[in-house]
Amino acid sequence: MGGVEDDGPPSKRVKVSSGALGGLSKGTSHREQASCSLSDLMAQPLASQGKDEVVGSKGVVKKVELVRIIAEALYSLGYKNTGAHLEEESGITLQSSVVNLFMQQILDGKWDDSVATLHKIGLMDEAIIKLASFVILEQKFFELLDGEKVMDALKTLRTEIAPLCINNDRVRELSSYIVFPSQNVLDISSDKEARLKSRKKLLEELQKLLPSTVIIPERRLVHLVEQALDLQRDACRFHNSSVGEMSLFTDHQCGKDKIPSQTLQILKEHGDEVWFLQFSHNGKYLASSSSDCLVIIWEVKLDGRVSLKHRLPGHQKPVSYISWSPDDAQLLTCGVEEAMRRWDVTSGECLYIYEKSGLGFISCGWAPDGKRIFSGVTDKSISMWDLDGREVECWKGQRTSRISDLGITRDGKQLITVCKETTILLFGWESQSEKLIEEGQNIVSFALSEDSKFLLVSLLNQEIHLWNIEGAIKLVAKFKGHKHSRFVLKSCFGGLDQAFIASGSEDSQVYIWHRISGELVFTLSGHSGAVNCVSWNPTNPHMLASASDDHTIRIWGINRVSLDHDDRHSNGIHYCNGGT
Amino acid sequence: MDIDPRICVNVAVNDEDVHNIVLSYLVHNCFTGTMESFIACTGVKQPADHLVDMEKRKRIFHSALDGNALKAIELMEEFTPGLLEKNKDLHFDLLSLHFVRLVCSRRCNEALGFARTKLTPFGKEQRYVEKLEDFMALLAYEEPEKSPMFHLVSLEYRQHVADSLMRAILEHANLPSYSIVERLIQQATVVRQCLSQEFGKDGHQPFSLKDFLKS
Repeated sequence: MGGVEDDGPPSKRVKVSSGALGGLSKGTSHREQASCSLSDLMAQPLASQGKDEVVGSKGVVKKVELVRIIAEALYSLGYKNTGAHLEEESGITLQSSVVNLFMQQILDGKWDDSVATLHKIGLMDEAIIKLASFVILEQKFFELLDGEKVMDALKTLRTEIAPLCINNDRVRELSSYIVFPSQNVLDISSDKEARLKSRKKLLEELQKLLPSTVIIPERRLVHLVEQALDLQRDACRFHNSSVGEMSLFTDHQCGKDKIPSQTLQILKEHGDEVWFLQFSHNGKYLASSSSDCLVIIWEVKLDGRVSLKHRLPGHQKPVSYISWSPDDAQLLTCGVEEAMRRWDVTSGECLYIYEKSGLGFISCGWAPDGKRIFSGVTDKSISMWDLDGREVECWKGQRTSRISDLGITRDGKQLITVCKETTILLFGWESQSEKLIEEGQNIVSFALSEDSKFLLVSLLNQEIHLWNIEGAIKLVAKFKGHKHSRFVLKSCFGGLDQAFIASGSEDSQVYIWHRISGELVFTLSGHSGAVNCVSWNPTNPHMLASASDDHTIRIWGINRVSLDHDDRHSNGIHYCNGGT
Repeated sequence: MDIDPRICVNVAVNDEDVHNIVLSYLVHNCFTGTMESFIACTGVKQPADHLVDMEKRKRIFHSALDGNALKAIELMEEFTPGLLEKNKDLHFDLLSLHFVRLVCSRRCNEALGFARTKLTPFGKEQRYVEKLEDFMALLAYEEPEKSPMFHLVSLEYRQHVADSLMRAILEHANLPSYSIVERLIQQATVVRQCLSQEFGKDGHQPFSLKDFLKS
């Protein structure tokens, strides 16, 4: 029994403290319940207590509802006695007695009775009553058929089911079952267990049909808890690991330790400013390019170390953009207003050099089927090429400016380019449709999210804008804090489920924001020159690469040493799941 | 553009041709009484042994029209043996007529039994399955005339079956399946429609047989 006084009159509203469940004595609640007429039960399926009583500090949780879903949870878990005891002690019944009767009749197979009871529950919506009746009578029909009582089944169909005048297609199917008995899919044998199981399934279906105030959905409490966990995970600003264990005891809050923040390697192969880098789709390679006109393919070993695989000489101009083929077997590189080259990743040899007389290439990209290539050209047009070097199509006009980014959506249908200084073009090349994103400032670069639903745009006014490009185009978020007013810097999506945004900065640091909250999570120091480009490993959320004017590439990762020591490297307070 | 009626006047029409046209119509539709009067009045030659056939055809046609499919089937076995085995669609249609009759007279037991023994074997072939389901659905309704499948119990449907029956029998007897006058009307209509389409692009109405017959 709860610790609250039981002497008080039942009408007195008692604010519930944790532990106690209502201040009513047992006897009173039963008497009140019995005296409630059927109409009361219909209006609010529960007797006694002010139905507005609330629990919790926010005043939004109704006590009656809370107790009902707890009772349902107990029954679902198999604690029938406890459930019944709760109903008794609180004076709050899980279901009204009419509904209880209804449910029992379904389980007992008393079909005609259950349909009659259905009408007494007090549902407002005629359509629902009909649907529910239909479903119940269907069960009756099949059980009769199964028991070889064909004429009875036919009678049910004719006199009870068809007159409902709903779902004529199903009625037609039922007729077929009578004539072709072998088609009977339900197959409820006279085996009692199978029959009960089938009836339980019917009950579940009815629970979904009838409003939830009448019959509470099964496992509602667990569903609410799962919802809360989802929300916690979304709100977790440092969430970057697949967390198997989320505890119910405290709010989920990751520590910063799973976000790459330690320099694990410094790669010094380039002889000049490193302008661009990108991981392959499978995360096994990294390609980088420099103003020394060299392109390098790096290999990411199993232990996470990055080592040189191939040097790709040949370009006469610095390579401003690199594109991995969808299968990561080939690489496209584009020299600034120069030629476009296609390389084999395994051998490092140049497979083809694309040239257009009198013109230079600006950007390059693969079609998702790996058979065609798109490129932006200095005359502001976009071309499509096949692997044999033939120009398949060319779209002229103001399609692209000097910006070297080229985006291709996952379905291969839209090309994304910066067509004017402050405008991005989404070009449906087959349908010739055009959508524009207008910015107020000069656009420097952009990146497309993996699901092709979002576009990250870096601007010269030191802001990064996140746009939703699926359906109606709208600005979703802005990220600030870094320095960007002169150079070409690139930003990217990254981390688990692409939950983070990373960007280079003119102050030599790497900036990382949490995408949903917009909060700046980390600034990583180490480089001694502007950070031009960042790339987050798509298959390893703990690996980030940055390219800098200091001629180096840095590989960032998490501190693999245990959390206890190395305070030099820690960037903040450590939170573990469960503590604050 | 309409053909100037004066042009038509110049086309000669043979009396004998007209008599034959009328006769063929009467024979085709089994109007035995009328046919006899006509022959008596005009002296046209009576078609050989068509009389007996006409009577039989007439009885079969009317049985089907009444929905008495079993009778129709019996007569057909007698008159055109083997035809139903060859023409399964027709057989199915006739059997379904009987089924409909049973359902309409609320003899559900019988209907169900009949369906299971006679109709379900057709279900082995895919093209009959949907039709079969349509008919079986009739079982579910106490008032089939008001069910979604009401067209199956209608006179129009029986007419349709009876007509197909007639055409099959005529074909079997190597007689034309349409009477001459029907074919003439069909021809004229088609030709007229083509002409009015060709020349009538500036808003002329399409050819209407009804209007023509009234004019």
